[in-house]
Amino acid sequence: MSLNVLICDDSSFARKQMARALPKEWEVTVHFAGDGLEGVEAIRDGKGDVVFLDLTMPNMDGYGVLETIRRDDLPAMVIVVSGDIQPDAQERVKNLGAMAFIKKPIDAEKARAVLTEYGIMTGV
Amino acid sequence: MPAAAEILTEDQRDCYQELTNVAMGQAADRLARLLNAYVVLPIPKISVIENSDLNMALQGATGDSSVSAVCQGFIGAGISGEAMLMFNDASFASLASLMKYEGPLTQEAELELLMDTASVLIGACIHGIGDQLEIVFNQGHPVVLGQHCDLKDLVAYGNNGWDKALAIEIHYTIEHVNIDCELLLLFTEESVKTLNKKVDYLLD
Repeated sequence: MSLNVLICDDSSFARKQMARALPKEWEVTVHFAGDGLEGVEAIRDGKGDVVFLDLTMPNMDGYGVLETIRRDDLPAMVIVVSGDIQPDAQERVKNLGAMAFIKKPIDAEKARAVLTEYGIMTGV
Repeated sequence: MPAAAEILTEDQRDCYQELTNVAMGQAADRLARLLNAYVVLPIPKISVIENSDLNMALQGATGDSSVSAVCQGFIGAGISGEAMLMFNDASFASLASLMKYEGPLTQEAELELLMDTASVLIGACIHGIGDQLEIVFNQGHPVVLGQHCDLKDLVAYGNNGWDKALAIEIHYTIEHVNIDCELLLLFTEESVKTLNKKVDYLLD
């Protein structure tokens, strides 16, 4: 069974950009969510082994998703992908349990670097 | 919105919002370092407005309070636009204290704070959008539209010969303090046609 990757962002352009940045040889099933509420639901459905999470979203933002994951002890490795590059924002999401932080705009190099550094992409 | 549909598709609108999201994050980072505070980032609002609606758009942004504002034109790759930064006048006391500004808060002091903030926010935001679209924008000189004025008086400036424009509105606030400002980027219909081509290239 391949790994389930969830891309959670309110912008369809950003979701596409993220999906395109994933390493081609990485065999995963990619799922999408358009806001934090959809994201949490997808994680509960087992679609988010690895989650690429935006912060600024309507309904529930990325911070809300991180809090929910922690509170309900949901099994997800979260990589925040955000335009909010203030040092404070990075620290806050790390404190809320995010594994890594990628600055938008995303590209293939940044995605690969993080996936390799944290050993998420293995056996390639 | 019918006015928007004539100029932008939903995909293009979404793309402008995301490009702005990234650019305003870079601008906020610069401001956060300047003020040593956390800048709260909203979801930017992308809309197409008619010249006659500018007043309303601004009113929605700043409420009824008195404002101070700067505008700055920018141009590049056949695209021209106008950036406008408006501060709620109540913001200056907090701004002065965060910037460790000494001395009384005179009109001149406020002007300096306004110009300093404008150069950081407007510059970073315009270049952030330009970088993503591979456009180099050159900025004109900033012009003070007014200090402590009523919004209606500011908008008289806005009637400069366009009918419809793409408006990008970003409402910045600073956590824990009373600082409230609105950055408005306007692109005229002609410029939007050229911008849309660049955006379509990204969407492809």
